[in-house]
Amino acid sequence: MKTKTTQVEPSGRRKLVAGPLSRGDKWFFRSTSIAAYFSFFLVALILVFLFNQALPVLQAQGFGFVFGSEWLPEKEPMVLQLAPMLWGSLVIAFIGVVIATPMSISMAYLIQFMLPKRLARIATTLVDLLAALPSVILGLWGLIVFTPVAAGWAEILNRYLGFIPIFGVADPENAFRSSPWIAGWIVAVMIVPIITSVSREIFSQIDRDLINGALALGGSRLSTFRRVILPTSSSGVIGGVLLGLGRALGETVAIFYVLNLVMKINWYQLLESEGGAVASWILARFGEASPEEKQGLMAAGLVLFVITLLVNFLANVIVNRAQPWRKSS
Amino acid sequence: MAKQLSIQPWRKSSIARRVQIFLAVVVPLPLVMLVALLSGIDPTMSFITIFVPLQLVAAALVGYISYGRRGIGDAALIVVTTFLSMFVLILLASVLWSVISEGFKALSPQFIYQNNKYVEPTTSLEYGGVGHAILGTLMLVLLTTIVAVPLGFAMAIYLTQSQSKARNLVRTFTQAISGLPSVVAGLFILAIIEATGIGRSGVTGAMALFPLMLPTVARVAEESLKLVPVDLRYAALALGAPNYRAFFRVILPAAKTGLLTAVLLGLARIIGETAPLILTLNPNVATNLNPLDGGMMSLPTYVYNYLASYYDTSQARAWGASLVLLVLVAILFGSARIIGRQKSSKSKGKK
Repeated sequence: MKTKTTQVEPSGRRKLVAGPLSRGDKWFFRSTSIAAYFSFFLVALILVFLFNQALPVLQAQGFGFVFGSEWLPEKEPMVLQLAPMLWGSLVIAFIGVVIATPMSISMAYLIQFMLPKRLARIATTLVDLLAALPSVILGLWGLIVFTPVAAGWAEILNRYLGFIPIFGVADPENAFRSSPWIAGWIVAVMIVPIITSVSREIFSQIDRDLINGALALGGSRLSTFRRVILPTSSSGVIGGVLLGLGRALGETVAIFYVLNLVMKINWYQLLESEGGAVASWILARFGEASPEEKQGLMAAGLVLFVITLLVNFLANVIVNRAQPWRKSS
Repeated sequence: MAKQLSIQPWRKSSIARRVQIFLAVVVPLPLVMLVALLSGIDPTMSFITIFVPLQLVAAALVGYISYGRRGIGDAALIVVTTFLSMFVLILLASVLWSVISEGFKALSPQFIYQNNKYVEPTTSLEYGGVGHAILGTLMLVLLTTIVAVPLGFAMAIYLTQSQSKARNLVRTFTQAISGLPSVVAGLFILAIIEATGIGRSGVTGAMALFPLMLPTVARVAEESLKLVPVDLRYAALALGAPNYRAFFRVILPAAKTGLLTAVLLGLARIIGETAPLILTLNPNVATNLNPLDGGMMSLPTYVYNYLASYYDTSQARAWGASLVLLVLVAILFGSARIIGRQKSSKSKGKK
């Protein structure tokens, strides 16, 4: 079918086929569609191979793999459970999103609606540059430069807001450094560019007449932002936030440096020096893992992959559906 | 600033208003600096606890004088968004500055071209370098590019040139792969290694980078192919060219720079990847250019390995390698920008 439709007018009312397609065209479309179907193949391949390796561990551990909190590869039989890392990943990603979202929306608003063209272009370039920074460099910076600063902020938070449970610590002497709080900040730096670029894209699609109309009716900058820009773009921005969340869940190296990985669920104490992250745990254990434990790590990777896949699918569906009043074209 | 605040664009803002706005923007900063100097508070803290509220008050005051009560909200919006955006830029500047300033301490000619064959953690910085890691990185990236770029382009062609119904599904899956955590890409290749028994080598490292590069290339290439006016294609088809000729003779030349940008952005995406390489490639202290056999070093894994040890020289090496990596990323990123800009200015000129 596809071979015929290639010469159809875009309006598509009448099917005009100019003549028999050449053999070259058949090969052209055949080869490109093979390449395109490779994307399904790749996802399937990743799932199959990881599942194949992870199956023995998943069978042996059962649901405890996801819900238990002990990782004892030396014990007979092995106990491999991942809950603290999974929960830690969620906590860190959540902190990252909470920090990054206001910054990103501000940045997108500034670029799209306030800065003159030239400055806006420079700001866009800088944000894209932030996206291009390798995570190992952010890890290095996070460990040596940022950790002391963020630990200082954590100390102040703890001193003045320590009565709120999430900012409380058991022992101020041994807290603050290597905490989910710092890992959350590092992740926030990484996802700011993603959320910013998606939000900017969505903002730029808002019909200018809508904004001008709001202003002409006597709206101020703030009311236009709150009543026109945010409502029309909210679903797209939420999609961008979810994309950032997916990225944050999969972040490995940078978190590995700035977080103290502990196999004990740290439910909510953000400033305590213990936390978890699945991806970093895989990296941390990999070096000294026995073949069986490696299978456990594969299973952890499988869980991580499935979670990020779901988050990303959801995010992309939302972003693709998000069509604020588009420019009439 | 004056123009920004104006919500009555037909009215020119008076000089008095401009002076007020100028004062509101300029006065708080030195004032806070003075207070911080005199009282000795930590500068970053004084910035957050004193400067921002002060700036808010000043802006709100001017807003109130100029526009009445609604000016307050506008002023607050402007101050808050500017402050938050500045914060992002400060973080970026901090990263760049620390890498550049610390990296330069380790940098020297032999740091660029020597390898680390006889280097102990305590060896001084005059010996050894990242030469093997630079070559290794280039090798790995080249291997990945050879496979990922044609495939990514083919995907982009499929998405733009064919009328197939499966396009949306393909696009969704490509987007899904672009969210693949890098460590999972590494585990995937590791699973293949365990299942088939092939040895860990440069090829497996490049294989682990491949799923990370593919979606970036495909997406950017699709965007740039979309920019080619569809009339060009129809004209070629109407003249009797088969689709593949229309593509190679008409669309490809028109989208050349965009496709080059796609390659460069794909390279920038994978050149800094660490986790997949740690899982699928043995590190090496010597130069190895044979991708089929033996370990290889890449710049990110070099940084990773040296950061793990606590010797000062090791950390200096990590910073130096980071700087080299950052320069590579900046070259790729910058050339992508320049090429992209040339294209846009050319298309403007045509119109």
